[in-house]
Amino acid sequence: METTAAAPVVQLTAVDYLVMAVYFAAVLGVGWALRRVTQTSTDFFLSGRSLPPWVTGLAFISANLGAQEVIGMGASGAKYGIATSHFYWIGAIPAMVFVGLFMMPFYYGSRARSVPEYLKLRFDEKTRTLNAVTFAGMTIFSSGISMYAMGKLFNLLLGWSFDVSIAVSAVIVLSYVLLGGLTSAIYNEVLQFFLIVFGFAPLVWLGMRAAGGWDGLSARLSEVATARGLPEGAYTHAWQGMGSSATNPVGVEWFGLVMGLGFVLSFGYWCTDFLVVQRAMAADSMTAARRTPLIAALPKMLFPFLVILPGMIALAIGGGVAGGEGIIPAKLAAGGAPLVDAAGRVVLDYDLATPMMLVHLFPAGMLGLGITALLASFMSGMAGNVTAFNTVWTYDIYQSHIRRGETDEHYLRMGRVATVAGILLSVAAAYVASAFNNIMDLLQLVFAFVNAPLFATFALGMFWRRSTGHGAFAGLVAGTAAAAVHHGMTLAVGASVGVKGGYFGVVHRYPSELAQTFWTAIVAWVTCFVVTIVVSLATRPRPADELRGLVYSLTPRAVDDVRSWRQRPAVLAAVVLVMTLALNFLFL
Amino acid sequence: MSGATRGLDLRLPIGGLFAVLGVIVGGYGLATAGDAALYERSLTINVNLWWGAVMLAFGALLLVLARRAPRGTVRPAEESPEGRATEAREKRSGLEK
Repeated sequence: METTAAAPVVQLTAVDYLVMAVYFAAVLGVGWALRRVTQTSTDFFLSGRSLPPWVTGLAFISANLGAQEVIGMGASGAKYGIATSHFYWIGAIPAMVFVGLFMMPFYYGSRARSVPEYLKLRFDEKTRTLNAVTFAGMTIFSSGISMYAMGKLFNLLLGWSFDVSIAVSAVIVLSYVLLGGLTSAIYNEVLQFFLIVFGFAPLVWLGMRAAGGWDGLSARLSEVATARGLPEGAYTHAWQGMGSSATNPVGVEWFGLVMGLGFVLSFGYWCTDFLVVQRAMAADSMTAARRTPLIAALPKMLFPFLVILPGMIALAIGGGVAGGEGIIPAKLAAGGAPLVDAAGRVVLDYDLATPMMLVHLFPAGMLGLGITALLASFMSGMAGNVTAFNTVWTYDIYQSHIRRGETDEHYLRMGRVATVAGILLSVAAAYVASAFNNIMDLLQLVFAFVNAPLFATFALGMFWRRSTGHGAFAGLVAGTAAAAVHHGMTLAVGASVGVKGGYFGVVHRYPSELAQTFWTAIVAWVTCFVVTIVVSLATRPRPADELRGLVYSLTPRAVDDVRSWRQRPAVLAAVVLVMTLALNFLFL
Repeated sequence: MSGATRGLDLRLPIGGLFAVLGVIVGGYGLATAGDAALYERSLTINVNLWWGAVMLAFGALLLVLARRAPRGTVRPAEESPEGRATEAREKRSGLEK
């Protein structure tokens, strides 16, 4: 595969490899110890619905904490500053609270085995199939893209061969998922969660010391902000400057941010994505399932300090590498010269912000731990995708369309085959990504269109009993089409027509790509919402009897099975929301 | 539906992992104490030594907690009221035989 001619940035030593080997032994050991727990398909796909909430809660965020999250949030930290925490405080926490309090009673209570299966119970087969097929495709591609990013990063940073890093991580994830099914994936996700925390916490601590504390960091970043034509505090305040897209580094105004990111995209992901919801479905009781996303929200709200701060620090320390800024190098064009944007400024290779921090601040020993933490984030994301894929494939596609009415052993066997196939397909996707980057951009765009309207369908399905299967299906298709049309008619300033939009002629220009993304989502959601209502009213509703347990007004309120008031989901939710609000005020 | 207990207290492997990592990283920090060139990057702090100690303490704590926990605290779905109710629903709707 492609190998860069340049020498690796750093060489690992024996102690670093020893740390990595111990981690590999631990994840494989967990899989081995769990090899006897997967006797039925429910064990394999849903952990027999038997895990305590702290385990499912930590797995809930860990499955989402793939390498793209760790690297990407560091990159955004360097690009947008502390405003990146909106992806957590606006873009995750409220949706996590909502799914726990209001939606989990239907997912868990309906005994659906997957999110698409809930759509089947609530609406009809075609809505389920549409969701299942797009979801299955998306998991494979996102797993492949993240594999590609990781292989490339390790090649650049450590000089590892692209093929070997992909093969080794694929074989390890495959082994532990095959051995222990979802339980093994979830247990390892919790282990990986702790490893990521322990790998990055000292990085942030050392980085803050190097930058001269928060004051030193703010002072240095206000120089950067001024140089980029923004108000002084643009990188260290999350809300100041959100009044207009021109006065904040994100390039979005507050309404687009709150509605697009905070409502449509965030609720669409956290409330309907089977990758995360599957973790809560594995919980041992309804109360545990409802507490899963709430427990997950507690560490999640603090993650900005773990993954975003390294990116900000990388911009502020080191005195500027040749051609770059801070310790972030410039992005190189094909010929080896630094890339320059429309305004004549050098484009930084932001994805290297967090990896360069590891290399810059960690000595041998800790460096091994940091690299292992990166590997762990990569593997937890991959295992999350694979376990969600094998379940949706087996239950929602294979069992409902290809072979009905087989024995449980048959589906268990199919699940194992799907696990192997899922990993092989992700590896193939990684190689496609390395050969044709544009195809991957295009696919991601298509999946974004498919995902944007999803929450409208689920919200209407759960809270409006009159909504029908035809309505839901029509709404989803119309929402996706609306997203494509809106994207095709708009373009971000500085972007060129093509995969970035504008292919139907540019009618409107957004100040940034994020603003365009958020507004595309808003348009898709509203279209889906309206079309679902209109078509539902024109089609025959299902009798109330069939909707019991699937719709809010026809389901008895959940009775919390807890020993004390402190364990009540509603109490936990209130604590989470107050803390998140406080964090927002702290970084106003 | 099998209500078998999961057979593995998760605190054991996590505790074990961090205890071993603590010993390795901390031990390396001890062995390299005073190596100014190595710790120049980390602002002359022997980060291996003290972070190794933190990991060892965390690992040991989890191991102790796991040892002291009563066995079989994991509850199968059948034991909770809503578990039984939904299981009945599942049978009615034909999801599970």
